[in-house]
Amino acid sequence: MPIIEVNNLVKDYKLNVRKNGLIGSLQSLIIPEYKIKRAVDNINFSIDKGDMVGFIGPNGAGKSTTVKMLTGILTPTSGKINVLGLSPSKDRKKLASKIGAVFGQRTQLWWDLPVSDTFDLLKYIYRIPDKVFKENMDMFNEILGLNEFFSQPVRQLSLGQRMRADIAASLIHNPEIILFDEPTIGLDVIAKEKIREFIKQVNKEKNTTMLFTTHDMMDIEKTCKRMIIIDHGIIIYDGTVDQIKKRYGTTRTLAAEFGQGSDPVTLPEGVEMVEEKDNKKYFQFNKDKTQASSLIAYLTSKYNILDLTVQEPEIEAIIREIYEGGINYDKSVSGNSKEGLSEQLGISC
Amino acid sequence: MAYRVEYFAGLINTLILIFVNIAIWKAIYGEDGSFDGIQLQMVLTYIILGFLMQSIFGMDEYFISNKINNGLISSDLLKPISFRLLVFSYNFGLAVFRIIMNLIPAVILSVIFFKLLPPFSLTMGICFLISLGLGYLVLYCLNFIVWLSAFWFYGTFSLVTIKDAIVVIMSGALIPLWFMPQWLYDFIKLTPFDSIYYIPISIYLGQIPSNEIIYSIVKQVFWIFLLIGIGHVIWKFATKKLVVQGG
Repeated sequence: MPIIEVNNLVKDYKLNVRKNGLIGSLQSLIIPEYKIKRAVDNINFSIDKGDMVGFIGPNGAGKSTTVKMLTGILTPTSGKINVLGLSPSKDRKKLASKIGAVFGQRTQLWWDLPVSDTFDLLKYIYRIPDKVFKENMDMFNEILGLNEFFSQPVRQLSLGQRMRADIAASLIHNPEIILFDEPTIGLDVIAKEKIREFIKQVNKEKNTTMLFTTHDMMDIEKTCKRMIIIDHGIIIYDGTVDQIKKRYGTTRTLAAEFGQGSDPVTLPEGVEMVEEKDNKKYFQFNKDKTQASSLIAYLTSKYNILDLTVQEPEIEAIIREIYEGGINYDKSVSGNSKEGLSEQLGISC
Repeated sequence: MAYRVEYFAGLINTLILIFVNIAIWKAIYGEDGSFDGIQLQMVLTYIILGFLMQSIFGMDEYFISNKINNGLISSDLLKPISFRLLVFSYNFGLAVFRIIMNLIPAVILSVIFFKLLPPFSLTMGICFLISLGLGYLVLYCLNFIVWLSAFWFYGTFSLVTIKDAIVVIMSGALIPLWFMPQWLYDFIKLTPFDSIYYIPISIYLGQIPSNEIIYSIVKQVFWIFLLIGIGHVIWKFATKKLVVQGG
């Protein structure tokens, strides 16, 4: 039974078209011109309890808009959303006590209040029982190290501290679903790692369902099994992270370090040299057509080779190619059919 | 420190405004102290009360529009609280602060320096307090409707300014309504504006006969409900219309 269900969701924005120059602005003052921009175009997906789903796409793809519609902040132009059996835009308040959200770009903490007061206020707003509150605070302190800055006003926190406090604040009431909108934006590597670990732990211990939007592929690789890619308001991929690697990540790169004074290399068919640096050479091949082991055997038998490594393409490179349209995603893999999806995920509906 | 300066400045500001207006009215009245059969001291009391009320009726006019313009409204909407009650609580908190910190010293100083008259009678005093509270609510509901325009226009400065000007003139905050031309007076009686300042102050001064007070208070309550209703409808449209700024 999915706890988030989105059907044919559409969101249009009405944009005021401004003309340039003085005459142009006068013209738009008197006769305003509008343009409808479709931010989210007829998307469908569903998420089961306890899932961790990465929601990615280039800037302006409609990720944040979708997340905001899931929380009930924005009202959809058309289509249906069902979160925990509620319609977000109609039951915003009811839903708000059951979900949490982190918007990386702005804080939900009270700017002038010390962090400790913020949590006391949240305890009151969400009516959190003392016991639960204490348990959660202990856990957050342990992993996120909130004590370091607990009595400082929020406005004096560093970005990393603020984000930790924000994430803790969104989880303090034990939400069933938590939506992260770029939770690691602008953070350093250590802070990112800390946050990812924390998120994973919460998911494991409390079986919280999580939806993640991010631009950092590491976030997705380290935390999520499933990934939804959206572009221009349309879902272009919905499946596992491994799947996308398997499907699209078929090129392998072999880096070989040659011994001094080797001959020019002749290559078997389907392998090409992409880069050459000193005596290091990089060969690219398709793993379905050429076996890495046979290529290695071929090279070692003919040349004096000191070192060899085979590199898988990074997920980031694959995604980049998808955004740029280099990969034609085939509908059987992504597509909106739920059957295909659950097959890939190895779960039964 | 900054807040302390602001606090004293606010208090002094109220007193200066009262002082200047008293001087103006004294000049209008001249020596004889009676004009249209209305005692100078009563007009002065009216003016002083008007300013004292204005000092506590001040609200944060840009609370909603700021939240919309910087996108922080999304944080409020994420919490299981009513946004409208949040806005009201915030402004009500401001009013309570001003009553304690501004009004009480200002009243004491007004009684000493400006010879503020006491309420007409004890009953009138109590009725005044009730009517004062209702007047605040009428103004709040009216303001709320104007503030909601931020959902459409983003900048609300001009609308708020126009609203302020209309309220100051039509509600009798600055000039007692009995000095208005009859046609304007009759017109204002049909609007919610006289419920804000004129009715409470008139009750204080004993200008409204005791058997008509109940009618005035019912009128205030009527406007509150009507304005809440209008605000509710606009709010429903506004939430559909909301665009969160800045990603």
